[in-house]
Amino acid sequence: MAAGLIVIYAIGPMRANVLNSTYGTDYGSNDFFFGQLRSVILSLVAFFAAFKLIPYKYVKRFAKPILIVSLLLSVLLWILANTGSSLAKCELGECRWFNLGGFSFQPAEALKIALVIYLADFLARKKEENVIGKWKEFWLPLLIVCGISLFLVVIAQGDLGTGVAIISIIFGMLLIAGVPAKQYLLMLAIVLAVAVGSVATSSHRMERVYAWLDTLSGAASSDSTYHIENAMLAIGTGGFFGVGVGNSVQATGYLPESINDSVFAIMGETFGFLGLFAIIAVFGAMLLRMLKVADHTTAQDERLLVVGVFAWTLAQVVVNIMAMTGLVPVTGITLPLLSYGGTSMIFIAFAIGLVLQLSCYTSREVNKNEDISSRRGIRGTHHSSRRRSA
Amino acid sequence: MPRINVLKNVVLVALAIIMVRLFFIQIVEHDAWVAKANEQHTLLENIVARRGEIYMMDDGEPVPVVLNQAVYSVIIDPAVTDKEGIKASLEKNAKQYVTADIDEVFATEGLRYYIIARNVPHSTATKIAEDGVEGVWFQKSNQRVYPEGELASGVLGFVNADGLGQYGVEGSLNDLLAGKDGLLKTISDINNVALSIGNDNVKIPAEDGKDVVLSIDRGLERGMEELMAANVNSTAATNAAALVMDPNTGEVLAMANVPTYNPGNYGNVKDASAYINYVTEVPYEPASICKSFAFSAAINEGKMNADTTYYNEGYTVVDGWRIQNAEQRAMLLGNITMRTALAWSLNTGSIQALRLLGDDPNSINQTGRERLYDYYYNKFRLGQATGIELIEAEGYIPDPNEGYGRDSTYANMTFGQNLGITMIQTATAWSAVVNGGYWHTPTVVKGTLENGEIVPLEGEKVSEQILSESTSTMMREMLINNRSYKITYGIDRPGYDIGGKSGTAQTVVDGAYDNTMSQMVGSYIGFIAPAAQKPKYVIMIKMWGEGQALSGGEAGGLFDILSNYVIDYLQLKPRL
Repeated sequence: MAAGLIVIYAIGPMRANVLNSTYGTDYGSNDFFFGQLRSVILSLVAFFAAFKLIPYKYVKRFAKPILIVSLLLSVLLWILANTGSSLAKCELGECRWFNLGGFSFQPAEALKIALVIYLADFLARKKEENVIGKWKEFWLPLLIVCGISLFLVVIAQGDLGTGVAIISIIFGMLLIAGVPAKQYLLMLAIVLAVAVGSVATSSHRMERVYAWLDTLSGAASSDSTYHIENAMLAIGTGGFFGVGVGNSVQATGYLPESINDSVFAIMGETFGFLGLFAIIAVFGAMLLRMLKVADHTTAQDERLLVVGVFAWTLAQVVVNIMAMTGLVPVTGITLPLLSYGGTSMIFIAFAIGLVLQLSCYTSREVNKNEDISSRRGIRGTHHSSRRRSA
Repeated sequence: MPRINVLKNVVLVALAIIMVRLFFIQIVEHDAWVAKANEQHTLLENIVARRGEIYMMDDGEPVPVVLNQAVYSVIIDPAVTDKEGIKASLEKNAKQYVTADIDEVFATEGLRYYIIARNVPHSTATKIAEDGVEGVWFQKSNQRVYPEGELASGVLGFVNADGLGQYGVEGSLNDLLAGKDGLLKTISDINNVALSIGNDNVKIPAEDGKDVVLSIDRGLERGMEELMAANVNSTAATNAAALVMDPNTGEVLAMANVPTYNPGNYGNVKDASAYINYVTEVPYEPASICKSFAFSAAINEGKMNADTTYYNEGYTVVDGWRIQNAEQRAMLLGNITMRTALAWSLNTGSIQALRLLGDDPNSINQTGRERLYDYYYNKFRLGQATGIELIEAEGYIPDPNEGYGRDSTYANMTFGQNLGITMIQTATAWSAVVNGGYWHTPTVVKGTLENGEIVPLEGEKVSEQILSESTSTMMREMLINNRSYKITYGIDRPGYDIGGKSGTAQTVVDGAYDNTMSQMVGSYIGFIAPAAQKPKYVIMIKMWGEGQALSGGEAGGLFDILSNYVIDYLQLKPRL
């Protein structure tokens, strides 16, 4: 978060400059920095709230209402967007945000965490009832919930990135929930087929795929390859040590979405291979740590929740970075904790806070002999410092 | 638990792939990406030097007649999404400046930069900018403005779309006016705004061009052009060219071509010959005007004087060619003086001068030809560029000892045919005939304007005595005699010495002189002086027209008008 803050501090004025000169907006030099600072503070609040103040059992109790509220928010946004209300904020033709005066709110981010919480509870219950893999008791309700969520995100909001994250969450949790391997693979195949089909039938998405293929094959530059090319250009110019904070040229307008989805590329230019290695190492450690927590957690719902957060984070990190390095087509997905964009950061911070809360319970059970308070203290600082460096 | 391990492996494999990929991009391909980045980020821009402005003289003070105006090129990124916005803004504000089919530009694949409109004034550019359409930016440049319109276009020339001076002083003094562009090499943002990032930024400042002050008098020039245009309309001529010079310095005070054009709209000219400055760029045959040169040569060599007589038969035969006088009245036949021969412009008179130059009153010989050549080419510098600060043609003077029919060629040269010389060469040489014998390099430039001071241009100016004072005095006396009857007619005013010589040239049609006289060029040259003083001004006129027979008479008529105008405009006091 701190690294993200530094980069946004450095490139924020450039971003403001580019937007001002291109769109005639009136951003101040430090508007993006303060915007990000606000998000970071809110995220820290969300993180500590999830970590210390809101016990998971309360959260679990409200799993269903939370999901319903999240879905209703997305439905409401859809309605507002279709009625042309100014409360719906649209960019590049996709309406994904509520416009709430000074700030905006992206309901899809809420939907992701709601889905994680709900599915953890749902799958745990089904496991207890021993109906996993049964069509009527298990697959049908699951498909309805997931289908509605995906419809609202991918179709209504045109947000393929969040769609990918949701699919990752679902399949990550299903895997751990113990769905029979045959059913799991069949379902995975169906989803992949649907995904490929929906991409192939959308010219807008196919364009991104072609652009990606063009970039891979090194074919002539075109408008569609511009984003990937410039992301790779930023990363490539970084070299081993990077060009240093404030020296990014790509951020001065060449790279689209330089502070949001493409922040990884700007970090690559700024901090070089060394910096990116550190960032990826931290993400890797965080993800493996989550799996360890999941492994050591005995309560089924808690374990599933941790895996859900893991799958979510994994999807965002891997898909974002792979898109920036030309390994997969660009989908428009943020890099957790680093990208500019308040909603995404706050919710993922909250989710990680929950995981941390659960990890404390876990450790208490595993290491019964240890002094709880000291253990907790060490854990707490350990994790939060790690996150700051990320 | 094995299923957790699946996820663990997913993490490890995905991150490993990413790290390998990053290693490849950041370490292996680093140099290639840096090269590509430099290509994209480096702004290499000429810092355009300010082009010098051009001044004329008016009441002894330099006044600007060619100025610069900031204009803008509108550049678009045809790949942006808001194509309709760009199109609407351009059509609304700057339709007349758009230089290409906008739809076609938008349809071109892969185009990210296109200059869609040029020479857009500041106010229009501001309007486009205010529309705030994405993908539009501006490049400032300077456009030449000619507030005097068509005035002295032949002297001024114009600046073409590439910023290069063409014709006139814009062309001949282009290096001086243009200055030297500087260079800016820097890292820039996507809107081509220079950034301070990067180490190898270069900035070489531009050296601005010099402001040039012409010796042309703005008021005199304007009045002369108006009188010439009116005169051309009232005669058979379609074209006229004229100049006024100070014979004592070689300074040109007016130089005009009719018809003229507006250098600010030079592209509207249908026939490119309108750009030509006939005073300096086109050699021709000034005909009998050259008798002044043949006479001067023979007098200066002591071979004859104004009262030398010869027998005029009305014609003479050279190389078997019968050369006739245009004027055949009986009173001129028999023994006449050279003064009379010049006054009636008798070809036999100037041929006699050539014979006398060769010390043989009965025939033309090698000595005569060589002496005439020496005067024409070496002393009067005819057939050579004069060194005026304009684009010049050289012309030619035939060699005295080469070629077939040399005697008849040289006989023709005494009355200004069979050679090619420009008006400026003629006027400069003729000035020497009347100014006391001095050949001065002609000039249209007073100097460069630096901090309000006129600094003369570097470069050698010739001032050489080629005729004796007495030769010049005798020539003046004869030239005044040529038109003394004009005082009687009330054309020339008393109190002035006004001398002149006309010329009517047959033109070459199909490689030979056209004896049907259906197309002829008329010329006249004269000087103005307060009575019994050195000439103050020399005026030369050439008039012609396709298929029209113009004579020295028409050109003389225009001289009558211009000489009186010059006296009035420049307030030359009579000496009574």
